[in-house]
Amino acid sequence: MDRLRAENLSPIRREDWDGRRAAHLLERAGFGGTPREIERLAKMTPEEAVAAFVDYAGIDNSHLLPFEESGFWDASLTQFPVSRPAATTLAENHGEAMGIKVKPAGSRPLQPVTNRFFYWLRATVLETRRLAFWWLDRMVRSNRPLEEKMTLFWHGHFATSEEKLRDYRKIQLQLETLRRGATGNFGQLLEAVAKDPAMLVFLDAAQNVKGAPNENFGREVMELFTMGVGNYTEDDIREAARAFTGWGNDDLTFVIDEARHDGGVKSFLGRSGNFRGEDILAIILEQKQTAIYIATKIYRFFVREDVSPAFGEALGDLLRENDYEIAPFLRTIFLSEDFYSEPSVGSHIKSPTELIVSTYRKLGLAVMPGIPDPYLVSKTLGQVLLYPPTVAGWGQGRSWITPGILFERGNFAREVMFPNIIDFVDPNYNPGAEIRRVNQNINAGMEITAATLEEGAAPSSADGIQETFNTRYASLVGYQEALRKLKPTPRGAAQFSLTDMVLDAGARTSAEAVDHLLARFLRVPLTPAGREALIKTLDEQLGTNTLAEAESYMEHGLRMVAHLIMSSPQYQLA
Amino acid sequence: MAKKPKLSGADRKGLLQSGFGSMVLEGASGITTSPVWSKVADAQAGANERILVIVELSGGNDGLNTVIPYADDAYYNARPHLGIRKDKLLRIDDHFGFQRTMAGFERLYKDGKMGLVHGVGYDQPSFSHFSSMAFWQTGAPNSGEAYGWLGRMADAIDPLGHTTNFLVNIDDHQSLAVRSMNHVPLVFDNPDNFTRHIYHDEMAAMSAIDLHGNGSANAAENFLFDIAASANTSEQLVRDAWNAYESPIDYGLVPFGLERVAALIAADFPTKVYYVPYRNNAFDTHVYQGDLHARLWSYTSDHIAAFVEDMERIGRGDDVVVMVFSEFGRRVAENTSLGTDHGTAGPAFVIGKSVNGGQYGGVPSLTDLDDGNLRFTTDYRRIYSTLIQGWMGNTKASSILKDDFSPLPMFASS
Repeated sequence: MDRLRAENLSPIRREDWDGRRAAHLLERAGFGGTPREIERLAKMTPEEAVAAFVDYAGIDNSHLLPFEESGFWDASLTQFPVSRPAATTLAENHGEAMGIKVKPAGSRPLQPVTNRFFYWLRATVLETRRLAFWWLDRMVRSNRPLEEKMTLFWHGHFATSEEKLRDYRKIQLQLETLRRGATGNFGQLLEAVAKDPAMLVFLDAAQNVKGAPNENFGREVMELFTMGVGNYTEDDIREAARAFTGWGNDDLTFVIDEARHDGGVKSFLGRSGNFRGEDILAIILEQKQTAIYIATKIYRFFVREDVSPAFGEALGDLLRENDYEIAPFLRTIFLSEDFYSEPSVGSHIKSPTELIVSTYRKLGLAVMPGIPDPYLVSKTLGQVLLYPPTVAGWGQGRSWITPGILFERGNFAREVMFPNIIDFVDPNYNPGAEIRRVNQNINAGMEITAATLEEGAAPSSADGIQETFNTRYASLVGYQEALRKLKPTPRGAAQFSLTDMVLDAGARTSAEAVDHLLARFLRVPLTPAGREALIKTLDEQLGTNTLAEAESYMEHGLRMVAHLIMSSPQYQLA
Repeated sequence: MAKKPKLSGADRKGLLQSGFGSMVLEGASGITTSPVWSKVADAQAGANERILVIVELSGGNDGLNTVIPYADDAYYNARPHLGIRKDKLLRIDDHFGFQRTMAGFERLYKDGKMGLVHGVGYDQPSFSHFSSMAFWQTGAPNSGEAYGWLGRMADAIDPLGHTTNFLVNIDDHQSLAVRSMNHVPLVFDNPDNFTRHIYHDEMAAMSAIDLHGNGSANAAENFLFDIAASANTSEQLVRDAWNAYESPIDYGLVPFGLERVAALIAADFPTKVYYVPYRNNAFDTHVYQGDLHARLWSYTSDHIAAFVEDMERIGRGDDVVVMVFSEFGRRVAENTSLGTDHGTAGPAFVIGKSVNGGQYGGVPSLTDLDDGNLRFTTDYRRIYSTLIQGWMGNTKASSILKDDFSPLPMFASS
């Protein structure tokens, strides 16, 4: 195997193709899989195996259902106010806001408007979680894993977050844009994303107007989306921002407001002209650095972190030779000697999403389990889909791991093997301590102001308060209204039988059972002492090393072994 | 949010009356004298007891609306909407004032516990969060330096990595600032969750699995084994420290990590450096920043002031210094969205009882600008050099920072 040369992009030969390499391809181009899937790929030629990932357009995926909305949104929410004060001020000035009128008389005239504000704030959070769940489920079920994996890559690359967008519809739309262009032409994807409402809102397009450009998009489009820092000047950023002035969205539609567009001459990356946003993107794509930056980033995501400058150039050349078409670029990478060379294999630290999805795919699941809750797991492990931490997306590789998180990865495995259903509470139904407290007070018949005072405040401090609205009460009412409409997330534990898996594999002894589970779950072997300790643990659980004697009760012991394997440092690697 | 004492007043009284006084009358820090703690403390004996805490405000704090030059008309000219009126701020002298939400900082300043450094930045500034933050974290702009300045300081002070957990980073991922050649920083977020959920019958095998053996050619695998070792040695210590920690002090509405630092210090952790970020680019206030920025500073200032008070309470006030920074300031002029865009220099704060309180560094002009941005007066590495030399007492500041930066006279010894 050492014959395969790192940084060499020529295709591997048929005689170098085996189960181990097929498993590597499945881990990286997909999310890993079962021994049967590995075997199927191993029987193909390398070209056929790679095509089974890259040429996914023809692969049937009709079993996947579209995202089913809860039905939270209506047109009155189109111009959602930027903050609660903005909402109540709007209502004071216009007599209504978000489709809700101010009460003509009586107590707390602005309460319904305030309730409405909190309703949508909560609704879009809950629906975004459902959307993320739907996407994870799709990653588990899809027959086109590379399509989802590239979508995941682009989501981290063109990172926008619900935190700022506050509108799951825009996120959903962007996700469709990313999936549609996942392995297509990068230039087309770049333009589509730039014109996507999510990105327009996320990077403040509405604030970027003639005479007062906002540089947020102009900067990030070069720094993060195309070229990387150090390849342009601050002047280039300002000139680019001018070219994008007037870009914006009318709800879910891209629009250019010519009145706010700066039609003057711009000097950008050594050229000057009457540039519009599209021209800026085209000039960026002409830069050699753009191809190097994108090619290297994709390579790092799929193969390994260390890329020498010379190899980065070679990758950039490869992408440019393919006119920024991603599919042929990936085909060359996945077929290359480099991809199967020693430094590339077993050296990738799985992202939390890869860890979750690959765990389920290796168990052969047909659906995403709702227990443990994938949102809470993702949050603990540091990658909540649709909530990247910043516009730079997530750090990769070692940045996923801390001592605390290494433990949490093992704890996730335990929740898969031994789901704690008795203590399970759907996190969507947990509004937090403050709303719970207010809810109890209100239900106990307390007056609204008194019910919403700070915990521990004397009830008399509510005396004489004349409020036009109460935000804590609004937060409760808004949450409840959102929950009434929320479609439930299916909450089932993973269905699988490790007993069947080891018996189907022909295992007869505890050692063979352990070896089957090791082969199924790990790409990097345990230490011999670690393997011995697993066999010993299983022997103790079974009371024998002969599986035939323990068949009727061995599931529990096998699940312990699987939990231990998945808690190992090696399981974090693909 | 103060952590609630685990015993109510009535409980305490009851225990005292029943003769269980030792459970109630613990040391000032609320830590019992278990063997674990005395072991940790012994290892510390004779060592320099000084502790450095770094608070990172990510996103680019608007320095002009933090330390407000209210006596300068140019400030109000540049910020017709966002400028904070003279009657709405906390004056600290006849030129500057803090946001009105920064009562905690006002007190620290007036008590002489704060060194306020003006105009902190560096030459040829980057306006990118990621680059500028990396420059601050490595202490080496435009160099591609792989280790953090605190990591290099740890390597210089303790080249063999003898001090366990020399570097602690409270976060869900490791900061570049603490990346070190010879130390594995302890990184954790929620101490309650810092544990393996494991069945009794699995424990023996788990220990065997986490043992590295001879190392391998796979660098990622070696890294994971190092992390596993750090996790296994530290988890119990951290959770015990956290569970034993009680404080009557209110750490504010957003306790973003210093309360966890306090718990470890109260438990006599051997840690010299704590790194605590205010996360998620929170200070990146491009639009409608007025209320938001005031709120961010109420959280930050309350939290830091509480920490300083807590250190005093547990008798470590003389041993702890906090440095607060952001990767850049913001442009002098407000933008049209009632926010501010990425800028250059800003104020930094060095806080603690041992600090010579007052103002340091030249005040940047609000009219002599570099393309709308402040010209920095104080290279941020002068603060690093002050902390390395003046506070941590290490003489290798120049080699750690790869250049000479004269320290500020903030500490008695410097």
